[in-house]
Parts: sequence; structure tokens; C-alpha cells
Amino acid sequence: MLSIRKSLVVLLALVLVVSTAACTSSNNNNKTKNPDSGTATSKPTEGTKDPEPEVKEEITLDVFSMLSNFSGEQTGWFAKVIKDKFNIKLNIIASNLEGGGDTKFATMMASGDLGDLVVFGDDGEKYLTAIEAGMLVDWTKDGLLDNKGKNILKYAPKAIEKNKANFGKGSSVYGIGFDVGDDKPGPSEAKDLTYHPNLRWDLYEKLGRPAIKTMEDYLPVLKQMQELEPKSATGRPTYAFSMWADWDGNMMVAAKAWAGLHGFDEGDGFNPGGFSLVSGDKEEIQGVLDEDGYYLRGLKLYYDANQMGLVDPDSITQKFDDVVNKMKDGQLLFTWFPWLDDTYNTAEHLAEGKGFALVPFDEERTFSYGYDPYGGQRVWAIGSKAKHPDRVLELVDWLYSPEGMMISTNGPEGLTWELKDGKPVLTDFGVQALPANDSPVAAEFGGGSYKDGMNQLNNTSFKNTNINPDNGDPYDYNLWNSVLEKSPSKLEQSWRDAMGGALTAKEYLEKNNKLSVLKMIFTGTPPEIRSPELEQKRGQVADVIKQYSWKMVFAKNEAEFTKLRGEMIDKAKGLGYDEVLAFGIEQNKKVFEYRKK
Amino acid sequence: MKTVIRPQSSLSRSSGSYIPDRYRLFLFALPFLALILVFSYFPLYGWLYAFYNYRPGFSLFDTQFVGLQWFRSIVSNPTQTQEVLRVMRNTLAISGLGIITSVCPVIFAILLTEIKTTWYKKTVQIFTTLPNFISWVLVYAIAFMMFSVDNGVVNKVMIGLGLQDGGVNYLASSDFIWIKMTLWALWKGLGWGAIMYIAAIASIDQELYDAAKVDGANRFRMIWHITVPGILPTYFVLLLLSIANLINNGMEQYFVFQNALNRDTIEVLDLYVYNTGLLGFNFSFATAVSMLKSIISIVLLFFANRLSKLVRGESII
Amino acid sequence: MRSLRQQRYGDLLFNALNYTFFAVFMVLCLFPFYYLFINTISSNDLSSRGLVTFYPKVIHFTNYIEVLQVKGLSQAALISVGRTVIGTLLTVIASAFLGFLFTKQKMWGRRFWYRFVIITMYFNAGIIPWYIIMMNLNLTNNFLAYILPFIVSPFYVILVKTFVESIPEVLQESAEMDGAGYLTVFSRIIFPLITPIAATIAIFAAVSQWNSFVDTLFLMTDSKYYTLQFVLYKYLNESTSLAAIIRNSQGSGGTIDLTNMQTATSVRTTVSMIVVLPILFVYPFFQRYFVKGIMIGAVKG
Repeated sequence: MLSIRKSLVVLLALVLVVSTAACTSSNNNNKTKNPDSGTATSKPTEGTKDPEPEVKEEITLDVFSMLSNFSGEQTGWFAKVIKDKFNIKLNIIASNLEGGGDTKFATMMASGDLGDLVVFGDDGEKYLTAIEAGMLVDWTKDGLLDNKGKNILKYAPKAIEKNKANFGKGSSVYGIGFDVGDDKPGPSEAKDLTYHPNLRWDLYEKLGRPAIKTMEDYLPVLKQMQELEPKSATGRPTYAFSMWADWDGNMMVAAKAWAGLHGFDEGDGFNPGGFSLVSGDKEEIQGVLDEDGYYLRGLKLYYDANQMGLVDPDSITQKFDDVVNKMKDGQLLFTWFPWLDDTYNTAEHLAEGKGFALVPFDEERTFSYGYDPYGGQRVWAIGSKAKHPDRVLELVDWLYSPEGMMISTNGPEGLTWELKDGKPVLTDFGVQALPANDSPVAAEFGGGSYKDGMNQLNNTSFKNTNINPDNGDPYDYNLWNSVLEKSPSKLEQSWRDAMGGALTAKEYLEKNNKLSVLKMIFTGTPPEIRSPELEQKRGQVADVIKQYSWKMVFAKNEAEFTKLRGEMIDKAKGLGYDEVLAFGIEQNKKVFEYRKK
Repeated sequence: MKTVIRPQSSLSRSSGSYIPDRYRLFLFALPFLALILVFSYFPLYGWLYAFYNYRPGFSLFDTQFVGLQWFRSIVSNPTQTQEVLRVMRNTLAISGLGIITSVCPVIFAILLTEIKTTWYKKTVQIFTTLPNFISWVLVYAIAFMMFSVDNGVVNKVMIGLGLQDGGVNYLASSDFIWIKMTLWALWKGLGWGAIMYIAAIASIDQELYDAAKVDGANRFRMIWHITVPGILPTYFVLLLLSIANLINNGMEQYFVFQNALNRDTIEVLDLYVYNTGLLGFNFSFATAVSMLKSIISIVLLFFANRLSKLVRGESII
Repeated sequence: MRSLRQQRYGDLLFNALNYTFFAVFMVLCLFPFYYLFINTISSNDLSSRGLVTFYPKVIHFTNYIEVLQVKGLSQAALISVGRTVIGTLLTVIASAFLGFLFTKQKMWGRRFWYRFVIITMYFNAGIIPWYIIMMNLNLTNNFLAYILPFIVSPFYVILVKTFVESIPEVLQESAEMDGAGYLTVFSRIIFPLITPIAATIAIFAAVSQWNSFVDTLFLMTDSKYYTLQFVLYKYLNESTSLAAIIRNSQGSGGTIDLTNMQTATSVRTTVSMIVVLPILFVYPFFQRYFVKGIMIGAVKG
């Protein structure tokens, strides 16, 4: 019993000590913070006076990333590169914990400290608020950008220009966008696009490659394919469309995909998405609920498909992971997303000639993103409480150099790739380790596995299809001549033969004018943010649209389908659909004006 | 500092100190009350956000004062009012079923203590708490595995027995969804919830049973006259707390089980607020909602307490 | 005579039903767990296609090895164990003591203070004010943040208070007659009597300490304070966060490398197993406090 009394005494003492400590420490906090901010501003000027290379002290940067899946210290080969080059360690703080993103950001904003290096998921509300609240360093202060941002100024001048005009009132620079593209027209994607209709190529060939004119024409073909292969490898029934609801945002993703295949996408590439579907290259806008719009047409297509037995009845209840597993098992015949069939297009399947490949339709005009020399919406920025903004910018600047881009996408030179006759080729280790395998890395390169050592910042500097000025090949190793010339698999060969010799889906679509390439714009103003009230309405309307869309797909008959469609439109309008749409269209129209320039 | 040390020294001298008992008892409690004050009451200043257009990163008073706008926006137009009514109906129905089934852990505990084989009792006790540790996401994964149309065991059995012609998507159906949700929750929480009652039974004076046995009482009489009254206070307290929680059913369970077909009947308040995406961006609205919820809960708490006073003659808090 | 025999039959029947009921329910509870377990040790390919139902196929332990190799796991385990042990101990003692104090009618403002504590269960001011308070108390990147806020838990206080009230007051009174102070009464008389409820609270508090990760997410930026739950949760969170990125960033373009993001369901399940198993091993340790029939008479005598 004595021990209980003892622990009680300890407990009481503890409570008191802590509560007093808490009171005093908040004072300490202020005391220590002030001198810090003092040195932070004075240091860069010192640095400029003294350009001699000095041995820099080791520092750890807190990287607050809204895009990273990883949290903790960066390790492995990328850590070694950064350490050797800058004597910097990266401590990544990720906010992506199941809906925790916005809240985590909000708490950091409330505390007034966003860390040293900040990665914004988009240049919308959060970025604007952070600037307004003074949470970010102005890169033009004290000649920071001029001294430490040589590569940025050289390789991404337009991205800086955009940030100055859009977010810095014409004079300040608070950050730089990602995926800065070369200044040239055409699609910026690598081999595949975000959307295109991939079908089981082997089955489609067996049917004699019937012609497909409109999106609805896929249904009879898919039905025949289903009859041809009614069961998967493990004896489960096959379906054309196996969908999932857990990625739906403002609308049902699977129905929106058909808009994407006609050159329309949610949003205009500049403003945040809403209920308007905007053409990539024409001055056309559709509302999601437009009677003759692609969204409702997509829903009708799924309704018809369901009547034909082409829709997986689990679609409404399964999650994305389940679909991936079904794909792997061979239960699917169609996908809108070329990256989704990776799990079926294994080396074995491809060698057998089985697998998914693009089967275009005549009316297809796939939505594509153009090169954007102004940079995309994800932003690199520096927190105003950073102790060494100069060294943070040095790091960012390196990422925007050909050397930094090459290393952070493909790994260090000598490990995964090397130059042969001035052109990059993969080493044996590179073939094995890329894109993200667990191959062990030698200690001289930092040890650990290749995958664990990858750049965990999860944000890019240049578009990976940009041409590396140092060697004339794109940054992405998949597009190096040395890699493209590799012998194709049986499936690839048969597809290439049928498609008139095009090497990749992108090449085919580009040659046949089946792309709607979004032209990137320079506005000089930040995107308009919806007011909280409007945002509230958007949320409620989106909820209604998503729910009714799914109900319509699984309607029992035509009459029920029509009735549900009516209800959806009524309810959405009752909750403010028109208002949200009108706001969106107004913004989209402004973008059209800029596109002309 | 002094105030805390004093009662301790007076303690060692036991009675006869100069601080009256009533204050001494209070001083014992003081450090703990201070913790409550700091960690539970201090953050309440945040309720002010509900009356502003609060934006993190700015001082509250630099942001726009909007009065009761966020509270009014909950019922701003007829369509929305209908939505809120629908959601409240689901919330109350599921909570109501939860309150009705709150007696199940009690029965579970009583039945379990009637098992005299010690190893069996212990095994049951451990294994029945297992579902409590499986997250709802995984529970749903299991449910999907069992009920999926083409691959699920349930459909295979039903078709095999000739009870249905083709596959049925059970999880998509909205029939009896309130009851189904209650059963899932019961399965997950029964063993865990019974622990408290098992503890309460363990404290009942064994002499009472011995005396009853001598009087020739059978097992059921002993349960009814000794065990049940022994755990009733615990049960009533927990019941009271759950009544106050009428509008807080959490959202994780309903989030994983929801789909377009059952949405109308499964959407409880917490889920609705999440689904409409309001909380992520709009801290003022989120604060207004949680403020309302807190107030309603506390009102319910005191209402239930009053009721208990009327019915049982004693208040619980 | 007849009624006695009837009674015996009734007893027998009751026992039979009772044992069967628990057997059935136990299977219902155990099977899903078993199912998850055999899927973690079966070939990932077979399990992802749903081909493992009743017994493991192609047994392997790579899932466990992979998860146990997650970086920083041992440090995180240390923090988790630390917060669980210290936090639980303090919570049990504080709740028991406070619950005991609230049974004392004499206490100044008892009813008010009791309610003062209870109603906080229904407060929720939101995360930002909470965070600001924690920051001002210097409880960011500080181990005490795992301990201090949980010391007094209203729910446990209620449980103890209700429990203590069911104990005959005679016991305390006689001790007070003998000149014992409140602390003596609490530690010598009350605490031994309330071990069942103290054990319950210990289990509840330990599990919630062990499982909590939200505080780590918001309060800890230094990885040396990461808890096991947090580290594992981050590890398997990749596919969900990817979905969030796709949803939230229109106009970013680019395709997704599925092989890079996919966390197999089996790995996710393995994580749940690794987190739950320690709880299962600790639970029996507390069970002895639940044995019926702590003899109040014995304490009296």
C-alpha cells in the first residue's frame, strides 16, 4: 500500500511541476523565437557578401508536404545525395492521414509555423491563405532568388513570372509550381494518357476488331467479348465495367471518364473543379446535369450495360482495392484508366499475348494536358519561420536543375543509369530497381533498398517528359531511346501492327488527331475561391449527384431511370446546383479569354 | 504549491488537522480538477469561431463576424431542412436501437458468470473481445468477402439451397439497414462492453449468495435478487450517458457501410456532416455543429438525470 | 422432491443452452479474426483473389517480415509501450482516487465539481483550439502530451464512483473511527475492494493509449515521438492518400504508377494482427481481477 501512496505523491507533484513548467515555458518560447527570426533575415545578406564555399553546418529541414505518403526522416540514396551536396537532412511531415490533411494544415497555420520547406497540394485556398497570413518567405527579399535560385531563373523563368503576377502582386515570389514544362505545344504525357479506353486486346482481336464509332458501340463488342471469355482464371464471371465509389468527388468518377474521352474534364486546369465539364481545346462547357451532356450520357451507357449484364453487381459496394484484385484475376474486360491494367499486364500475360491495350472509338478526343512552362498547381514554398531560407532555396534550386531532376526521378548517376555516348542508358541495377523495387543499394550510394531510398517529397520540379538539355533525351527513363528500342512483347507487337506502327498509345492518339490538348494559360491573377457558403452548397449537391448517379446505373427499368434522373436534377437544383455551376462557368469563361492570348 | 502539500502533511497526522474535512476533500481533488480545466475547458474558447468566418493563421478578431449565420445555414432552405430531418430520423433510430440493445452486454455478463468452468469462461471472455479490435474498414472487407454477389459465401449457399435464383447484393440493400447496423455494432462491441458488468458482478458480496443458498433459493432467483440489483447502478449510469449521446453515433461504421442505395437510411448526423464535405474547409461551420451537439447532449444528460430522479427516486449525476 | 428434480433439470438445460450460446458466439467472433490471420500467412496472390477461406494455403511469413522491417518500428514500440504503461497507471490511480473523493458527501461543492468533470465528456471545441492550448503548454514534441491529457477521464471517474457507492459504507466508517485519513482509507480499504473496476479501467485505458494515433499526427513532428500505431498506419495509408490526391488535384495531369502505391490487403491485415496481438497477451493478466466473489466479509474480518 505504501507504493500506492508514494505514487500518488509523485503524481500530485508531477501535476504541479508540469503546470508551472507549462506557464514558464510559453514565455521561453517567445524568448527563443525572437532571436531566431532575427538571424533568419540577416543571414542571407551575409551569405551574399561572402560567396566563398564554406563548410556548412548540418541542418535538418522540416518538410511539410501535403502530397507525401511518408513521414519521418528521408533515408537511403536520396538522403545521401542531399547530405553530400548540401549537408541537409530532411524530416518529412506528411499531412495525408485519412482526411487529416486539411486539419493538419489548419493547425500548423494556427500555430504560425509551416516548417522550412512547404509543399502545397494545389495553389488554391491554402496557398493563398498562407501568403496572406505571412506564413511564407518572399523569395525576392534580400536577393534570395537572384543569389540562390540561378537554375530556377534559367530553366523555369515563366513559372517565377506566373507566381509573381498571380500570387505576389507583381513583385513578390512565394513559391514555384511543379511539373514546369518545356515551352512547346502538344501533349505532355508519357506513354499513356490519364483516360483512354483499354480493352482486353486479345479478345478484341479474336472478334476481328469490329469498328467502334461512338461510345455506345463498345457495349455490343464487350458483350461478345464476355461471351468469348465468360470466366476468369479462377472461374469467376467476367464483366466489362467494374466500378468503385470511394474515389468519387463532385460526381461519379466512372461517368466523368466518358467526358474525359471526349475532351472534357472537370475544371479548366486553372480553377478548382466543380460541376462544369470544360473542353481542353474548344470554348465549350457542359454542366454535369446537362440533358445532352457526356455525364448523363455516361450514366445511360452504364444503365444499358447493366441491363446487358456487363456491369459488375458489386460495383456499388466494393472499394478500389477490390477492383484492383479483380483486374489481377482477369475478371475485367475494359478500363478507362490505362494505369489500372498494370496488375493484369504482367510480363507473363504480355508474353502470351494477353492483356489490355487501347481500342479507340471514332469520336474519341481524349483529354490531355499540354506542356505548362508556367508550372502546375502543386507548389514548393518556404515557411517564414525557416531558420535558413537560403539553404532551403538552394535545395529547391537544385531540384530545378537538370542534374537534380535527373537524380530525383531516375536515381543517382552510376547507380541506376549512366551516360553512353552522351545518351542515358539504364545500368543492370537500374533495369532491376526501377521504377520502385526493393533492390538493395550499395553502401557507397546510401544503402537500404532502392524503393525506401526514393525521393519521398512526392513533388516534381519539371515535367518528366521534358527534354533534358544535357543529353537530349526526356527525363523519364521510359522514354529514353535506349529503353524504347527494347524488343516489344507479343501483345505490344500485335497492337503496334494493328495501329499502323504507332509505338505508344499517346503516339497513336496524337497522330490521328484524337487528343484535346489543354492549353496552359497565364492569367496574372490567382484562381477565384468559392465563398464558404457556396462551398457548403457544392458539398451537398455533390452528395446528391453521386448518390443518384449510382442509383440510376442500377435502375430496374427505363421508367425508373428517367424518374431518378428527374429527382436528381430537382434535388440538386434545390440545394443550389445552378448557383455553383454559374460561378464555375463564369471562371471557365475567363480562362477561355486567356487561352486566346 | 503550499495548498497541495498541506493536506498531505495533515494526512499523516490523520484527523485533528485545522482544515475542515470538506475543504480537505476538495483540495485532494483540486489538481485533477485543474487538469480538467486546462485540457477540457480552456479549448472551449474555440466556440467563438462559430460566430466568425474563422480562417486559421489569422487572429480571430481580424476575421469577419457573422453572428448566427452558420447556425441558420443548417436549415437555410426547404430542401435542406428535409435533408436534416431525414438525417435526424436515421440518427435517432440507430441511437434508439443502440439504447435498447444496451441491455445485451448485461445479459451477456450475467450468463457468463453463470458458467462455472473457469478455463471456458476465461477463453470466452478473451475471444469475444476480439471483434472490438478489428477496425471497421476490415470488418467491411470481411463483410464484402461474405456477401459479394459472385464470390460471396452467402450467395453461394442461398443459390445452392434454391432459395434465390441469382446473386443478390445484400450490402447494397437498404432493407432493415438500422437493424443490420445495430447487429454489426452489437457483434463488435458485445464482449468488450460486458467487461464493465463482469467487473460489477465480481464486486458483489459472495456472502449474499451463500446466505441465499442456505435459504434454498435457486439459480434464477439468485440472479434476479442478487446479481441484477448488484449491476443495476452501473447499468443505469451507462444508460444515462448513452441517452446523452443520442445524436453522436460516430461515423466510421456508417461510412464504410454506406453506398448509394442505402445512403438515405444509413446517413447519420456525423456522417452527413462528413459527406457534405463541410468540415474539411469550414472550421466555423464545424464549430457551430459541434457546439450545437455539445449543448443538446448536455441538455439530454440533465433531462435523463431528472427522469431518473422521478422514476427511481435518485439522481445519477 | 419433485420440484428439486425439476430444478435440477432446469439447471442442466440452462447450462447446456448457456454453454452452447457462448460456443456459437465465440466462433462468430473468432472466425473473422482467424480468417484475417490465415490470409496474412497465405500466398498474397491467392489471398487477394479471395481463394483463402478456411485454412492457409502456401504458408509464408513475408508479410510479417515486411511489416516488422518498417523503419523506426522499435523506437515507436518503445514509445507506445511507454505511454501505455505510464498512462494507464496514472489514469487508473487518478480515476480511482477522484471517483472515491466524489463519493464523499462532505466534499465542498461535490455535486458541482462532479458535474464539472462529467459534462466535459460531451465537449468538443474542435482541433484547432485544442492544438493551440497544447502548443502553449509546450506539449508538442513532448512525451508528456501522451500522458497528461488522459490522467483524468470522466468516464472512468463515473465507473469508480458508482462502484464505490455499491460497497457498504460501514467499512470506511469503521476505518475512519480508527483514525485513518482519507488517503489511508483509499489505499488500504477502497482500492483493494475496487480491483475489478480498476482492472476494467486499466484495460480500457491501456487499449485506448495503445491504439491512439491522432495526437501523434497533430502534436509530434519529431519522429522519435512516433508511436507504433502511427508508424504502421502511415505505412498502410498509401493507397487511400493517393485517392485523396487524385480527387483533390484536378488539372495536375500525369498518370499513376499502380505498382508503386498498392498496399496489399494482406499487408494491411498483417498490421492489424501485429497491433492486436500484444493486447491479447496482456488481457489474461488482468483477468484474475474479475473472478467473482471478492470477499467483503474477509476484508471486514
